[in-house]
Amino acid sequence: MQAFSYSESPYEIREDLGQAYRDYWARLAEPGSWWTGAERIAIAQESRNAMTCEFCTQRKQAVSPYSFAGEHDHEGTLDPLAVDAIHRIITDQTRITNSYVQDNLANGLSQEKYVELAGITVVTLSIDEFNRALGLPLEPLPEPIAGEPTRYRPAHAIEGTGFVPMIPADGNVGPEADLWPEGANANVLRAFSSVPDAVRDWMAVGAAQYLSMAGMQIFAGDTGRSIDRMQIELVAARVSSHNECFY
Amino acid sequence: MMLSLSANTTETAIDLQMINGSSASETQEIPFASELNNFAEAVAQRDTTNISRTRDELVEVAGEIVMVDAAGVAANFQRMVRIADSMGIPIDEKSVEPGADIRQELDLGRFESAQNTPSANR
Repeated sequence: MQAFSYSESPYEIREDLGQAYRDYWARLAEPGSWWTGAERIAIAQESRNAMTCEFCTQRKQAVSPYSFAGEHDHEGTLDPLAVDAIHRIITDQTRITNSYVQDNLANGLSQEKYVELAGITVVTLSIDEFNRALGLPLEPLPEPIAGEPTRYRPAHAIEGTGFVPMIPADGNVGPEADLWPEGANANVLRAFSSVPDAVRDWMAVGAAQYLSMAGMQIFAGDTGRSIDRMQIELVAARVSSHNECFY
Repeated sequence: MMLSLSANTTETAIDLQMINGSSASETQEIPFASELNNFAEAVAQRDTTNISRTRDELVEVAGEIVMVDAAGVAANFQRMVRIADSMGIPIDEKSVEPGADIRQELDLGRFESAQNTPSANR
């Protein structure tokens, strides 16, 4: 059976959602920019493990997450630094600091690896959360495809906005021309841009779950969904508020 | 901010406090606002029992298609906050001033990630 067929779902699910998820699963299985296919799938699995990690639950209660020792519930296939980053992004993301990212860099988790890891973690999370919202089981992860990462790094990514280098607002040129349309260069669009495929991946899933880039610019009228823009933004805002989103 | 922009564009009166979970201020001008809000909160909390209950309530009043579309949006925004916080991005410079009143009304400065935008906390 193909992935995300939703044939057992009691609810009718838009085909473009299943297709976006299938497309992502196919990309997840392939070697990425800085991780192999097997490592990328291990990252996706860790994003699931974090949900039930006892250490994460205890650390979330600690006044400082950086002075609380212990071990995550994990598969044992990834470096502990990578495991910790994945679990923090899932369970305690508001307390990630620049010092934490720079310390990881000093200890061997490069900024590019961190960005790609974060991209896999959050896209897998959003796909899983859709299934959880509908009361459906999680989709089995795909089988990895052999091969080496491309190690592609955009030459014009620069430091200065967040914790990692990003392509500047007017840097959507050359191989990166498709990353964002002219004039739509918000920091959140550029956040993963030192690993351009990480941007492409979340935007493709986001276009199905939320709105396309063009759709985001329209604040009234047809959304192409059964809910209007205010209803969409009400749901978005409530989820963001619960997650303590300042951005 | 996007909710506010959409409401202004359509000249709809809304009370932003509903996104902080204030049921008393839920507006009737947004169809199914209460059910959408409750479902979104349950998804964000990952509370299986509440998700099931609020999902049924939303389907009851608005139908399955609305619930599925709302699930997609909620799932999407479980991701977006983590992109912003894991990369430590600040609020875009062009949004700092226009969004100041909204951030104050919702007391968003209490969130840890507010420190990623020093210019919005002066």
